[in-house]
Amino acid sequence: MELKLHRRTFTKLGILTGASAIILPSCSEVATAPEGGVRLTEDERELMERFAEVYLPTEGTSLKPRSEVPVVDHIERAFGLMDEPILEQVRIGLKLFDYGSVLIGFHLSRFAALSAEQRLDYIRRWENGIAMQRGIVGVLKKLICLGYWQDIEAGRAIGYRGPVSVAGGVVSLGNAPMPERATQEPI
Amino acid sequence: MTDERTAELPSLPVLRVTQPNEIPDSGLRLQADVVIVGSGAAGAVTAYELSRSGAKVVVLEAGPHIPSNRFQEHAPTALETLYEDHGNQLNTTGDLAILQGKCIGGSTVVNAAVCFRAPDQVLRHWASEHGLDNLSSEALAPYFERVEKNLFIHPNEPHEVNYNGRLLIEGAEKIGVPAGPTPRNVKSCALSGHCISGCRTDRKQSMLVTYLPWASQLGATILSGTRAETFEVRNRRITAVQASAIDEDGTKKPVRVEAGLVIIAAGAVQTPLLFQRNEIGNSSGQIGLNFACHPSLAVFGEHENDVYAWVGATITAHAGDIENPLKGGYLLEAGMVGPVVTSAWIDGGIGRDFVDFMQRSKKFQAAVTLIHDHNVGRVYLDGDRKQIEYDIDDRDFESVREALRGAARMYFAAGARRVYLPVTRRTTIDRESDIDSVINGLRNGKHMYRLTSYHPQGTMRMGADPAKSVVGPDGRCHDLDNVYVPDASLFPSSLLVNPQLTVYGMASYISDRILARA
Repeated sequence: MELKLHRRTFTKLGILTGASAIILPSCSEVATAPEGGVRLTEDERELMERFAEVYLPTEGTSLKPRSEVPVVDHIERAFGLMDEPILEQVRIGLKLFDYGSVLIGFHLSRFAALSAEQRLDYIRRWENGIAMQRGIVGVLKKLICLGYWQDIEAGRAIGYRGPVSVAGGVVSLGNAPMPERATQEPI
Repeated sequence: MTDERTAELPSLPVLRVTQPNEIPDSGLRLQADVVIVGSGAAGAVTAYELSRSGAKVVVLEAGPHIPSNRFQEHAPTALETLYEDHGNQLNTTGDLAILQGKCIGGSTVVNAAVCFRAPDQVLRHWASEHGLDNLSSEALAPYFERVEKNLFIHPNEPHEVNYNGRLLIEGAEKIGVPAGPTPRNVKSCALSGHCISGCRTDRKQSMLVTYLPWASQLGATILSGTRAETFEVRNRRITAVQASAIDEDGTKKPVRVEAGLVIIAAGAVQTPLLFQRNEIGNSSGQIGLNFACHPSLAVFGEHENDVYAWVGATITAHAGDIENPLKGGYLLEAGMVGPVVTSAWIDGGIGRDFVDFMQRSKKFQAAVTLIHDHNVGRVYLDGDRKQIEYDIDDRDFESVREALRGAARMYFAAGARRVYLPVTRRTTIDRESDIDSVINGLRNGKHMYRLTSYHPQGTMRMGADPAKSVVGPDGRCHDLDNVYVPDASLFPSSLLVNPQLTVYGMASYISDRILARA
């Protein structure tokens, strides 16, 4: 797999690229949706699910169950809105995160296959790692949050109202009237 | 297309926008007195002011026309439809989101409606360092007054300041920091809290419902979905702008506008890129340099009581010494948006910590920080791709620390029991006595903080010396006789305060200079 790393997001990636040449080939399947959309790969979907399980465990809480929110589908939609170079970098970052567990945690297993406890430990290691690691784990957190919290009912479970104007019958004021001519003379 | 709301509101000015699907496949050739690239704060004001003088004006906007009755009051949808790169515009490091509107009305449609005049200290700095003696507070005052009247700009009234805003004012006053209700361009605010997703009920006096409909009523032609690409140049003049209107099905239609006067008002990212693509106007070598952006961080303070910081106006109150930006001054603006933004602004931890954090979010007071950052960034093309090179300078990181320290002190003074900092892994201050040790332990670095910029500025520097600046004191390009730049890219240094009102005032001022020269 060819790694193209133009963005400084991953400037310290050189530390890992030697290893990535070994650990990444198996996860390089191309996943493009019809009609120009973008599909997450099976690996990416599994990574998101496993990450969300430990990052946002809703079971036994007052939050809307994560299983009732199409978190990963929302993320897939977000991927479709990214410019190609950014999407490419995000995907490389996700693969490094998923397969980096072989090297960084010496788990001999990709992140998605780790136990919940191991996954938590692994995320914390990346949070405290070099800039590239912090950046990638930050992207993952933001994607999960975007995917979950965009659900209006998920927001209401924590007291956020969501859209209010239509429900409240608040009318539009329309366009503002043209200013009076006298106030607009050259200064 | 005529805005569909006008059928219900027939006596008000009508905004007519030509959309790409209304343009024939063969394209469009227009002749005008003035062509304006961009329909945001600068483009809209200039369009109206020049239309009012009788000029035939054409406005080219790359973004779509989305009438307010289609706004969803849902941040992810707004990011997708109203923002540059669907909200994914980042610095080259990838740790700073740079948000700009991309729609008819530009960033004025999606900003938080905050309107401060440029601080006097900044204008004096522009005079002493950049030869801009013409831009004193006194000289600009009539232009600010005109805009303030036109856009109903006023400090929030008591009912517009929510509990979150009152907590900020209370805390600031207790520690002796100036604070008060924030001025906004809003008429009869409905307090929906959805400013950044577009004001569905037209209370925010954005360009979408003010200067653009007024310009349209006066005969201006406004095209949406039409991206300016190529300038035709002859004898130090741009004689025509070539653009592409892109249909929903992706069909590109050529648009060419011939005009005697050209206004480039595409904002501090797109304006320099347009000049760079055309390789003009850059004898100073300054185009794209001097980028600043007010890198912004959020700070939360947890209270015993519910605060519901997201209920009410988006920004309600502010605190900070905004008259002294050059001496490390900072500005805190009380505001919070829904859970998508809450979870993006602050790292609440992992697992149960994070769930608990979100469940408690209604108890958080919240504010965002603004600093007067140095112009250390650069906007440039890498092939055909834009790059925004910007990392927080070490000098500015001291201002960031002061802003965070100030926020923490104010929050504890207002009764908070814990403060959450915008570090990329959960970081809290659990006791007032820990403020200094925690803040002093923060280090500048890549991917260390949850950064957002709402205010790109400075890439087409204005100044008296053509060797050191791109645009002259009257807004005209030093190298081009009929080209003006009135947007935030001309600011020689960052403002500290939200730039919206300064852009309106400067665009009004530059419009008068254009008319005086005509």
